Amino acid sequence: MKKILWLLWVLFLLSPEQIQAQEDATHYLDTLGKKYSGLKDYTVDVRVHFDIEGFKAPDMLAKLYFKTPDKMKIESKRVFFLPKEGGYFNPFMFKKEEFEIRLLERLTYDSRNAVKLRLTPKKMKGSTRDFVLTIDADQNLIREMNISSFEGREVKAVIEYGKFSDFELPTHIELQLDIPFNESRRIKDFGQSAPKTERITGKVEIGYSNYKVNSGLRDEIFKETEPPLLRGGS
Amino acid sequence: MKLFWFEIVKTFSRWRTYIGFGVIALIVVLTEVVMKLSATEILYRMMRSLQKDFLIFGNILNGWFVTAFIMNGLHIHIPFLIALVAGDIVSSEATSGTVRFLLIRPPSRYKIITAKYVTTLFYTAGLVIFLGLVCILPGLLLFGSGDLVLHHYGRFGIVFIPEVEIPLRMLFAFMAAIWSMTVVASIAFLLSTLVENSIGPIIGTMAVVVVFLVIGNFPFDFFQSLKPYLFTTYMIFWQRFLDDPIPLREIATSATILGLHSIGLFFIAFGAYARKDIKS
Repeated sequence: MKKILWLLWVLFLLSPEQIQAQEDATHYLDTLGKKYSGLKDYTVDVRVHFDIEGFKAPDMLAKLYFKTPDKMKIESKRVFFLPKEGGYFNPFMFKKEEFEIRLLERLTYDSRNAVKLRLTPKKMKGSTRDFVLTIDADQNLIREMNISSFEGREVKAVIEYGKFSDFELPTHIELQLDIPFNESRRIKDFGQSAPKTERITGKVEIGYSNYKVNSGLRDEIFKETEPPLLRGGS
Repeated sequence: MKLFWFEIVKTFSRWRTYIGFGVIALIVVLTEVVMKLSATEILYRMMRSLQKDFLIFGNILNGWFVTAFIMNGLHIHIPFLIALVAGDIVSSEATSGTVRFLLIRPPSRYKIITAKYVTTLFYTAGLVIFLGLVCILPGLLLFGSGDLVLHHYGRFGIVFIPEVEIPLRMLFAFMAAIWSMTVVASIAFLLSTLVENSIGPIIGTMAVVVVFLVIGNFPFDFFQSLKPYLFTTYMIFWQRFLDDPIPLREIATSATILGLHSIGLFFIAFGAYARKDIKS
Protein backbone atom coordinates (compact mmCIF):
# COMPACT_ATOMS: atom_id res chain seq x y z
CA MET A 1 0.00 0.00 0.00
CA LYS A 2 2.82 2.34 0.99
CA LYS A 3 4.63 1.63 -2.28
CA ILE A 4 1.53 2.46 -4.28
CA LEU A 5 1.15 5.78 -2.49
CA TRP A 6 4.80 6.63 -3.19
CA LEU A 7 4.35 5.74 -6.83
CA LEU A 8 1.28 7.96 -7.10
CA TRP A 9 3.20 10.83 -5.47
CA VAL A 10 6.11 10.46 -7.90
CA LEU A 11 3.68 10.34 -10.82
CA PHE A 12 2.00 13.48 -9.50
CA LEU A 13 5.34 15.28 -9.31
CA LEU A 14 6.22 14.21 -12.81
CA SER A 15 2.84 15.21 -14.22
CA PRO A 16 3.00 17.70 -17.11
CA GLU A 17 1.18 20.36 -15.04
CA GLN A 18 3.76 20.13 -12.26
CA ILE A 19 6.71 20.24 -14.64
CA GLN A 20 5.14 23.21 -16.41
CA ALA A 21 4.63 25.03 -13.07
CA GLN A 22 8.24 24.36 -12.11
CA GLU A 23 9.50 25.76 -15.41
CA ASP A 24 7.26 28.81 -15.05
CA ALA A 25 8.54 29.49 -11.56
CA THR A 26 12.16 29.36 -12.73
CA HIS A 27 11.26 31.57 -15.66
CA TYR A 28 10.18 34.43 -13.32
CA LEU A 29 13.55 34.41 -11.57
CA ASP A 30 15.33 34.29 -14.94
CA THR A 31 13.40 37.32 -16.15
CA LEU A 32 14.17 39.16 -12.94
CA GLY A 33 17.88 38.42 -13.34
CA LYS A 34 17.86 39.61 -16.97
CA LYS A 35 16.07 42.84 -16.01
CA TYR A 36 18.95 43.81 -13.72
CA SER A 37 21.79 42.24 -15.72
CA GLY A 38 23.12 45.70 -16.60
CA LEU A 39 23.25 46.78 -12.94
CA LYS A 40 26.87 46.77 -11.77
CA ASP A 41 26.70 48.89 -8.65
CA TYR A 42 24.79 51.58 -6.89
CA THR A 43 25.20 54.11 -4.09
CA VAL A 44 22.19 55.32 -2.14
CA ASP A 45 21.31 57.36 0.95
CA VAL A 46 19.38 55.29 3.47
CA ARG A 47 17.07 56.46 6.24
CA VAL A 48 15.84 53.85 8.70
CA HIS A 49 12.87 54.47 10.96
CA PHE A 50 12.18 51.98 13.73
CA ASP A 51 8.76 51.39 15.15
CA ILE A 52 9.50 48.44 17.40
CA GLU A 53 8.41 48.07 20.99
CA GLY A 54 11.49 48.30 23.20
CA PHE A 55 13.71 49.69 20.44
CA LYS A 56 13.99 53.39 21.14
CA ALA A 57 16.10 55.01 18.48
CA PRO A 58 15.85 58.11 16.33
CA ASP A 59 15.90 57.76 12.53
CA MET A 60 19.28 56.54 11.35
CA LEU A 61 21.04 57.81 8.23
CA ALA A 62 23.79 56.21 6.20
CA LYS A 63 25.20 55.85 2.73
CA LEU A 64 24.95 52.35 1.28
CA TYR A 65 27.31 51.06 -1.40
CA PHE A 66 26.38 47.94 -3.36
CA LYS A 67 28.34 46.12 -6.01
CA THR A 68 27.36 42.93 -7.79
CA PRO A 69 27.17 40.11 -7.02
CA ASP A 70 26.88 40.68 -3.25
CA LYS A 71 29.29 43.34 -1.97
CA MET A 72 27.73 45.83 0.44
CA LYS A 73 29.15 48.58 2.57
CA ILE A 74 27.59 51.08 4.95
CA GLU A 75 29.16 54.46 5.61
CA SER A 76 27.81 56.30 8.61
CA LYS A 77 29.33 58.79 11.01
CA ARG A 78 27.04 57.46 13.71
CA VAL A 79 25.83 54.11 14.98
CA PHE A 80 23.62 52.50 12.35
CA PHE A 81 21.33 49.46 12.54
CA LEU A 82 20.06 47.84 9.36
CA PRO A 83 17.72 44.82 9.43
CA LYS A 84 19.62 41.80 8.21
CA GLU A 85 16.70 40.33 6.29
CA GLY A 86 15.34 42.58 3.58
CA GLY A 87 17.24 45.67 4.67
CA TYR A 88 18.79 46.33 1.28
CA PHE A 89 18.09 45.41 -2.31
CA ASN A 90 20.15 42.82 -4.11
CA PRO A 91 18.42 41.63 -7.29
CA PHE A 92 20.95 38.81 -7.63
CA MET A 93 20.34 37.15 -4.29
CA PHE A 94 17.87 34.64 -5.74
CA LYS A 95 19.94 32.40 -8.02
CA LYS A 96 17.74 29.66 -9.41
CA GLU A 97 20.42 27.00 -8.99
CA GLU A 98 20.54 27.66 -5.22
CA PHE A 99 16.82 27.18 -4.52
CA GLU A 100 14.01 24.70 -4.86
CA ILE A 101 11.37 26.88 -6.52
CA ARG A 102 7.63 26.29 -6.31
CA LEU A 103 4.87 28.32 -7.85
CA LEU A 104 2.32 28.80 -5.08
CA GLU A 105 -0.33 30.84 -6.87
CA ARG A 106 -1.15 33.35 -9.58
CA LEU A 107 -2.82 36.47 -8.27
CA THR A 108 -3.61 40.10 -8.95
CA TYR A 109 -1.40 42.57 -7.10
CA ASP A 110 -2.13 46.30 -7.44
CA SER A 111 -4.30 45.51 -10.51
CA ARG A 112 -1.40 43.70 -12.15
CA ASN A 113 -0.69 40.06 -12.83
CA ALA A 114 1.47 38.57 -10.16
CA VAL A 115 2.79 35.23 -8.95
CA LYS A 116 3.74 33.89 -5.58
CA LEU A 117 6.85 31.69 -5.45
CA ARG A 118 8.28 29.69 -2.59
CA LEU A 119 12.08 29.49 -2.64
CA THR A 120 13.67 26.92 -0.37
CA PRO A 121 17.47 26.98 -0.17
CA LYS A 122 19.05 23.76 -1.43
CA LYS A 123 21.95 24.21 0.98
CA MET A 124 21.49 25.47 4.53
CA LYS A 125 22.77 29.04 4.59
CA GLY A 126 22.21 30.63 7.97
CA SER A 127 18.86 29.81 9.49
CA THR A 128 16.60 30.81 6.59
CA ARG A 129 13.92 28.20 5.95
CA ASP A 130 12.33 29.72 2.91
CA PHE A 131 11.39 32.87 1.02
CA VAL A 132 7.95 33.54 -0.42
CA LEU A 133 8.17 36.15 -3.15
CA THR A 134 5.28 38.02 -4.70
CA ILE A 135 6.50 38.99 -8.15
CA ASP A 136 4.75 41.52 -10.35
CA ALA A 137 4.73 39.48 -13.55
CA ASP A 138 3.94 42.46 -15.77
CA GLN A 139 6.84 44.60 -14.58
CA ASN A 140 9.14 41.83 -13.31
CA LEU A 141 9.52 43.29 -9.84
CA ILE A 142 9.57 41.69 -6.41
CA ARG A 143 6.72 43.42 -4.60
CA GLU A 144 6.66 41.41 -1.41
CA MET A 145 9.05 39.09 0.28
CA ASN A 146 8.21 36.86 3.26
CA ILE A 147 11.20 35.34 4.98
CA SER A 148 10.87 32.60 7.56
CA SER A 149 13.60 30.92 9.52
CA PHE A 150 13.94 27.68 11.47
CA GLU A 151 14.16 29.74 14.67
CA GLY A 152 10.67 31.12 14.16
CA ARG A 153 11.74 34.43 12.65
CA GLU A 154 9.12 35.92 10.30
CA VAL A 155 9.92 39.01 8.23
CA LYS A 156 7.66 40.53 5.61
CA ALA A 157 9.04 43.16 3.23
CA VAL A 158 6.82 45.33 1.05
CA ILE A 159 8.85 47.10 -1.62
CA GLU A 160 8.07 50.27 -3.60
CA TYR A 161 10.17 51.20 -6.61
CA GLY A 162 11.30 54.23 -8.56
CA LYS A 163 13.15 54.45 -11.84
CA PHE A 164 16.85 55.41 -11.71
CA SER A 165 19.09 55.23 -14.81
CA ASP A 166 16.85 52.68 -16.53
CA PHE A 167 16.66 50.50 -13.43
CA GLU A 168 13.77 50.14 -11.08
CA LEU A 169 15.22 50.30 -7.60
CA PRO A 170 13.54 50.51 -4.18
CA THR A 171 12.54 53.90 -2.82
CA HIS A 172 10.86 52.45 0.24
CA ILE A 173 10.90 49.09 1.99
CA GLU A 174 8.54 48.40 4.84
CA LEU A 175 9.59 45.51 7.00
CA GLN A 176 7.19 43.86 9.39
CA LEU A 177 9.14 41.91 11.96
CA ASP A 178 7.98 39.10 14.18
CA ILE A 179 11.15 37.66 15.62
CA PRO A 180 12.01 35.62 18.70
CA PHE A 181 14.38 37.08 21.24
CA ASN A 182 15.99 35.10 23.98
CA GLU A 183 18.80 35.86 26.32
CA SER A 184 20.03 34.18 29.46
CA ARG A 185 18.52 35.67 32.61
CA ARG A 186 20.88 34.04 35.08
CA ILE A 187 20.82 36.70 37.79
CA LYS A 188 17.20 37.75 37.56
CA ASP A 189 15.84 34.22 37.65
CA PHE A 190 17.89 33.08 40.60
CA GLY A 191 20.36 30.85 38.87
CA GLN A 192 18.14 29.56 36.09
CA SER A 193 20.03 30.12 32.88
CA ALA A 194 17.39 28.64 30.58
CA PRO A 195 16.63 31.25 27.94
CA LYS A 196 13.22 32.86 28.10
CA THR A 197 11.86 33.61 24.66
CA GLU A 198 9.83 36.71 23.93
CA ARG A 199 8.66 37.87 20.52
CA ILE A 200 9.60 41.21 19.10
CA THR A 201 7.06 42.64 16.73
CA GLY A 202 7.16 45.94 14.94
CA LYS A 203 7.81 47.80 11.78
CA VAL A 204 10.96 49.16 10.18
CA GLU A 205 10.64 51.65 7.35
CA ILE A 206 13.61 52.15 5.10
CA GLY A 207 13.72 55.06 2.68
CA TYR A 208 16.22 55.18 -0.20
CA SER A 209 17.16 58.38 -2.02
CA ASN A 210 19.91 59.92 -4.20
CA TYR A 211 20.73 56.81 -6.20
CA LYS A 212 23.92 56.80 -8.20
CA VAL A 213 23.85 53.81 -10.52
CA ASN A 214 26.81 52.17 -12.27
CA SER A 215 29.31 54.79 -11.17
CA GLY A 216 32.11 52.21 -11.26
CA LEU A 217 32.64 51.54 -7.56
CA ARG A 218 36.07 50.03 -6.92
CA ASP A 219 36.48 46.83 -4.90
CA GLU A 220 38.75 48.64 -2.42
CA ILE A 221 35.74 50.52 -1.08
CA PHE A 222 34.36 47.27 0.28
CA LYS A 223 37.52 46.23 2.09
CA GLU A 224 36.96 46.19 5.82
CA THR A 225 39.03 48.60 7.88
CA GLU A 226 37.37 47.91 11.21
CA PRO A 227 36.93 44.69 13.22
CA PRO A 228 34.05 42.65 11.70
CA LEU A 229 31.83 42.91 14.79
CA LEU A 230 31.99 46.68 14.75
CA ARG A 231 30.81 46.57 11.18
CA GLY A 232 28.31 43.82 11.79
CA GLY A 233 29.33 41.96 8.67
CA SER A 234 27.67 42.19 5.30
CA MET B 1 32.90 78.05 57.10
CA LYS B 2 36.10 78.03 59.14
CA LEU B 3 35.01 74.85 60.88
CA PHE B 4 34.23 73.27 57.51
CA TRP B 5 37.67 74.24 56.25
CA PHE B 6 39.31 72.69 59.35
CA GLU B 7 37.38 69.50 58.79
CA ILE B 8 38.41 69.42 55.14
CA VAL B 9 42.07 69.85 56.08
CA LYS B 10 41.78 67.14 58.75
CA THR B 11 40.02 64.73 56.41
CA PHE B 12 42.33 65.23 53.46
CA SER B 13 45.48 65.04 55.61
CA ARG B 14 44.64 61.39 56.44
CA TRP B 15 46.02 58.80 54.06
CA ARG B 16 42.82 56.76 54.46
CA THR B 17 40.95 59.45 52.51
CA TYR B 18 42.95 58.68 49.39
CA ILE B 19 42.35 54.92 49.43
CA GLY B 20 39.00 55.44 47.69
CA PHE B 21 40.50 57.61 44.94
CA GLY B 22 43.38 55.16 44.42
CA VAL B 23 41.13 52.12 44.27
CA ILE B 24 38.76 53.79 41.81
CA ALA B 25 41.61 54.92 39.56
CA LEU B 26 43.13 51.44 39.60
CA ILE B 27 39.89 49.57 38.90
CA VAL B 28 38.68 51.95 36.19
CA VAL B 29 41.98 52.18 34.31
CA LEU B 30 42.43 48.39 34.53
CA THR B 31 38.88 47.81 33.28
CA GLU B 32 39.32 50.23 30.40
CA VAL B 33 42.61 48.67 29.30
CA VAL B 34 41.12 45.16 29.45
CA MET B 35 38.05 46.35 27.53
CA LYS B 36 40.29 47.88 24.90
CA LEU B 37 42.28 44.67 24.53
CA SER B 38 39.17 42.47 24.33
CA ALA B 39 36.97 44.84 22.35
CA THR B 40 35.87 42.19 19.85
CA GLU B 41 34.82 39.75 22.54
CA ILE B 42 32.93 42.43 24.46
CA LEU B 43 31.14 43.57 21.33
CA TYR B 44 30.20 40.01 20.52
CA ARG B 45 28.75 39.47 24.01
CA MET B 46 26.97 42.82 23.95
CA MET B 47 25.38 42.48 20.57
CA ARG B 48 25.13 38.71 20.21
CA SER B 49 21.35 38.62 20.45
CA LEU B 50 20.87 41.63 18.17
CA GLN B 51 23.28 40.55 15.46
CA LYS B 52 20.93 37.74 14.46
CA ASP B 53 18.52 40.34 13.13
CA PHE B 54 20.51 43.51 12.49
CA LEU B 55 23.67 44.56 10.75
CA ILE B 56 25.32 46.95 13.20
CA PHE B 57 27.77 49.63 12.14
CA GLY B 58 29.60 52.39 13.98
CA ASN B 59 31.53 52.89 17.18
CA ILE B 60 29.30 51.23 19.77
CA LEU B 61 32.07 50.47 22.24
CA ASN B 62 32.89 54.13 22.86
CA GLY B 63 33.93 56.12 25.92
CA TRP B 64 30.33 56.82 26.94
CA PHE B 65 29.38 53.17 26.82
CA VAL B 66 32.46 52.25 28.85
CA THR B 67 31.50 54.88 31.44
CA ALA B 68 27.94 53.53 31.76
CA PHE B 69 29.30 49.98 31.92
CA ILE B 70 31.76 50.79 34.74
CA MET B 71 29.16 52.84 36.63
CA ASN B 72 26.83 49.84 36.51
CA GLY B 73 29.53 47.58 37.86
CA LEU B 74 30.86 49.87 40.56
CA HIS B 75 27.77 51.29 42.20
CA ILE B 76 27.79 48.45 44.73
CA HIS B 77 31.44 48.93 45.62
CA ILE B 78 31.56 52.71 45.95
CA PRO B 79 29.58 52.65 49.26
CA PHE B 80 32.48 50.82 50.89
CA LEU B 81 34.92 53.53 49.84
CA ILE B 82 32.57 56.21 51.13
CA ALA B 83 32.06 54.42 54.44
CA LEU B 84 35.82 54.31 54.85
CA VAL B 85 35.90 58.06 55.40
CA ALA B 86 32.33 58.85 56.50
CA GLY B 87 32.45 56.13 59.16
CA ASP B 88 35.62 57.58 60.59
CA ILE B 89 34.89 61.30 60.56
CA VAL B 90 33.27 61.57 64.01
CA SER B 91 34.45 58.42 65.75
CA SER B 92 38.11 59.19 64.96
CA GLU B 93 37.91 62.11 67.42
CA ALA B 94 37.05 59.64 70.18
CA THR B 95 39.69 57.14 69.04
CA SER B 96 42.43 59.74 68.98
CA GLY B 97 41.24 61.34 72.23
CA THR B 98 40.57 64.78 70.75
CA VAL B 99 36.80 64.77 71.25
CA ARG B 100 36.90 66.50 74.65
CA PHE B 101 39.36 69.09 73.41
CA LEU B 102 37.09 69.73 70.42
CA LEU B 103 33.86 70.06 72.36
CA ILE B 104 35.12 72.43 75.08
CA ARG B 105 36.06 75.01 72.41
CA PRO B 106 33.64 77.89 71.64
CA PRO B 107 31.93 76.45 68.49
CA SER B 108 28.71 74.68 69.44
CA ARG B 109 28.24 70.94 68.97
CA TYR B 110 25.65 71.71 66.31
CA LYS B 111 28.14 73.68 64.26
CA ILE B 112 30.80 71.00 64.67
CA ILE B 113 28.53 68.13 63.64
CA THR B 114 27.17 70.15 60.69
CA ALA B 115 30.71 70.97 59.53
CA LYS B 116 31.64 67.29 59.78
CA TYR B 117 28.52 66.25 57.84
CA VAL B 118 29.15 68.81 55.09
CA THR B 119 32.73 67.54 54.87
CA THR B 120 31.40 63.98 54.52
CA LEU B 121 29.14 65.10 51.69
CA PHE B 122 32.04 66.99 50.09
CA TYR B 123 34.17 63.84 50.16
CA THR B 124 31.29 61.76 48.77
CA ALA B 125 30.72 64.19 45.92
CA GLY B 126 34.47 64.37 45.27
CA LEU B 127 34.75 60.60 45.04
CA VAL B 128 31.84 60.24 42.58
CA ILE B 129 33.09 63.18 40.47
CA PHE B 130 36.53 61.56 40.44
CA LEU B 131 34.91 58.30 39.27
CA GLY B 132 33.18 60.23 36.50
CA LEU B 133 36.34 61.96 35.34
CA VAL B 134 38.47 58.83 35.47
CA CYS B 135 35.81 56.93 33.48
CA ILE B 136 35.02 59.56 30.87
CA LEU B 137 38.39 61.14 30.06
CA PRO B 138 40.51 58.01 29.51
CA GLY B 139 37.39 56.32 28.08
CA LEU B 140 37.00 58.92 25.34
CA LEU B 141 40.75 58.90 24.74
CA LEU B 142 40.92 55.11 24.37
CA PHE B 143 37.57 54.35 22.74
CA GLY B 144 36.54 57.61 21.10
CA SER B 145 33.10 59.18 21.20
CA GLY B 146 29.80 58.16 19.60
CA ASP B 147 26.14 57.47 20.23
CA LEU B 148 25.30 55.53 23.35
CA VAL B 149 23.53 52.24 22.68
CA LEU B 150 22.39 50.50 25.83
CA HIS B 151 20.96 47.04 25.79
CA HIS B 152 18.90 45.81 28.72
CA TYR B 153 20.12 42.31 29.45
CA GLY B 154 17.57 39.57 29.86
CA ARG B 155 14.82 41.28 27.86
CA PHE B 156 14.57 43.01 24.53
CA GLY B 157 15.23 46.66 25.09
CA ILE B 158 17.49 49.03 23.23
CA VAL B 159 18.02 52.63 24.20
CA PHE B 160 19.82 54.79 21.69
CA ILE B 161 21.07 58.17 22.94
CA PRO B 162 22.48 60.55 20.32
CA GLU B 163 26.01 61.73 21.01
CA VAL B 164 24.99 65.38 21.49
CA GLU B 165 22.66 64.50 24.37
CA ILE B 166 25.10 62.30 26.26
CA PRO B 167 27.28 64.85 28.14
CA LEU B 168 24.25 66.51 29.75
CA ARG B 169 22.61 63.19 30.58
CA MET B 170 25.88 61.92 32.07
CA LEU B 171 26.15 65.08 34.16
CA PHE B 172 22.68 64.47 35.59
CA ALA B 173 23.44 60.76 36.03
CA PHE B 174 26.54 61.56 38.10
CA MET B 175 24.64 64.17 40.11
CA ALA B 176 22.03 61.50 40.83
CA ALA B 177 24.82 59.08 41.80
CA ILE B 178 26.16 61.67 44.27
CA TRP B 179 22.64 62.06 45.66
CA SER B 180 22.33 58.27 46.11
CA MET B 181 25.72 57.95 47.77
CA THR B 182 24.75 60.71 50.21
CA VAL B 183 22.43 58.21 51.91
CA VAL B 184 25.28 55.74 52.32
CA ALA B 185 27.48 58.53 53.67
CA SER B 186 24.70 59.54 56.08
CA ILE B 187 24.37 55.99 57.43
CA ALA B 188 28.12 55.77 58.00
CA PHE B 189 28.07 59.26 59.54
CA LEU B 190 25.25 58.34 61.94
CA LEU B 191 27.00 55.15 63.03
CA SER B 192 30.18 57.14 63.45
CA THR B 193 28.48 59.46 65.95
CA LEU B 194 27.19 56.49 67.96
CA VAL B 195 30.44 54.61 68.52
CA GLU B 196 34.01 55.39 69.47
CA ASN B 197 35.89 53.38 66.87
CA SER B 198 35.91 53.51 63.07
CA ILE B 199 35.66 49.83 62.18
CA GLY B 200 32.11 49.46 63.48
CA PRO B 201 30.58 52.22 61.30
CA ILE B 202 32.43 51.03 58.18
CA ILE B 203 31.37 47.39 58.59
CA GLY B 204 27.92 48.43 59.80
CA THR B 205 27.30 50.58 56.74
CA MET B 206 28.39 47.87 54.36
CA ALA B 207 26.26 45.33 56.22
CA VAL B 208 23.18 47.54 55.81
CA VAL B 209 23.86 48.15 52.11
CA VAL B 210 24.63 44.51 51.31
CA VAL B 211 21.67 43.12 53.29
CA PHE B 212 19.27 45.60 51.65
CA LEU B 213 20.63 44.82 48.19
CA VAL B 214 20.34 41.08 48.75
CA ILE B 215 16.80 41.35 50.12
CA GLY B 216 15.80 43.59 47.24
CA ASN B 217 17.11 41.15 44.65
CA PHE B 218 15.68 37.89 45.99
CA PRO B 219 13.01 36.73 43.54
CA PHE B 220 10.57 35.74 46.29
CA ASP B 221 7.25 37.50 46.73
CA PHE B 222 7.89 38.28 50.40
CA PHE B 223 11.18 40.05 49.67
CA GLN B 224 9.78 41.72 46.58
CA SER B 225 7.02 43.24 48.72
CA LEU B 226 9.69 44.77 50.95
CA LYS B 227 11.55 46.29 48.02
CA PRO B 228 9.72 49.66 47.97
CA TYR B 229 10.77 50.22 51.59
CA LEU B 230 14.49 49.73 50.98
CA PHE B 231 16.53 52.78 50.09
CA THR B 232 18.81 50.62 47.94
CA THR B 233 15.89 50.20 45.50
CA TYR B 234 16.11 53.88 44.64
CA MET B 235 19.91 54.17 44.63
CA ILE B 236 20.19 53.23 40.97
CA PHE B 237 17.95 56.09 39.84
CA TRP B 238 20.96 57.60 38.06
CA GLN B 239 20.40 54.96 35.38
CA ARG B 240 17.04 56.55 34.54
CA PHE B 241 18.86 59.53 33.03
CA LEU B 242 20.05 57.09 30.35
CA ASP B 243 16.51 55.98 29.52
CA ASP B 244 14.35 57.19 26.68
CA PRO B 245 12.16 59.01 27.51
CA ILE B 246 13.63 60.10 30.84
CA PRO B 247 11.10 59.05 33.52
CA LEU B 248 11.06 62.35 35.42
CA ARG B 249 8.33 61.30 37.86
CA GLU B 250 10.26 58.17 38.86
CA ILE B 251 13.44 60.20 39.22
CA ALA B 252 11.69 62.79 41.38
CA THR B 253 10.21 60.05 43.61
CA SER B 254 13.57 58.31 44.04
CA ALA B 255 15.40 61.59 44.70
CA THR B 256 12.81 62.62 47.30
CA ILE B 257 12.91 59.28 49.12
CA LEU B 258 16.71 59.30 49.19
CA GLY B 259 16.79 62.97 50.24
CA LEU B 260 14.41 62.27 53.13
CA HIS B 261 16.62 59.37 54.21
CA SER B 262 19.71 61.61 54.23
CA ILE B 263 17.98 64.39 56.17
CA GLY B 264 16.47 61.92 58.64
CA LEU B 265 19.79 60.19 59.23
CA PHE B 266 21.57 63.51 59.67
CA PHE B 267 19.04 64.71 62.25
CA ILE B 268 19.38 61.49 64.23
CA ALA B 269 23.16 61.92 64.14
CA PHE B 270 22.70 65.55 65.12
CA GLY B 271 20.60 64.54 68.16
CA ALA B 272 22.97 61.76 69.14
CA TYR B 273 25.98 64.06 68.99
CA ALA B 274 24.21 66.75 71.01
CA ARG B 275 23.61 64.25 73.80
CA LYS B 276 27.06 62.68 73.61
CA ASP B 277 28.60 62.20 77.02
CA ILE B 278 32.27 63.19 76.95
CA LYS B 279 32.85 63.16 80.68
CA SER B 280 33.11 59.40 81.15
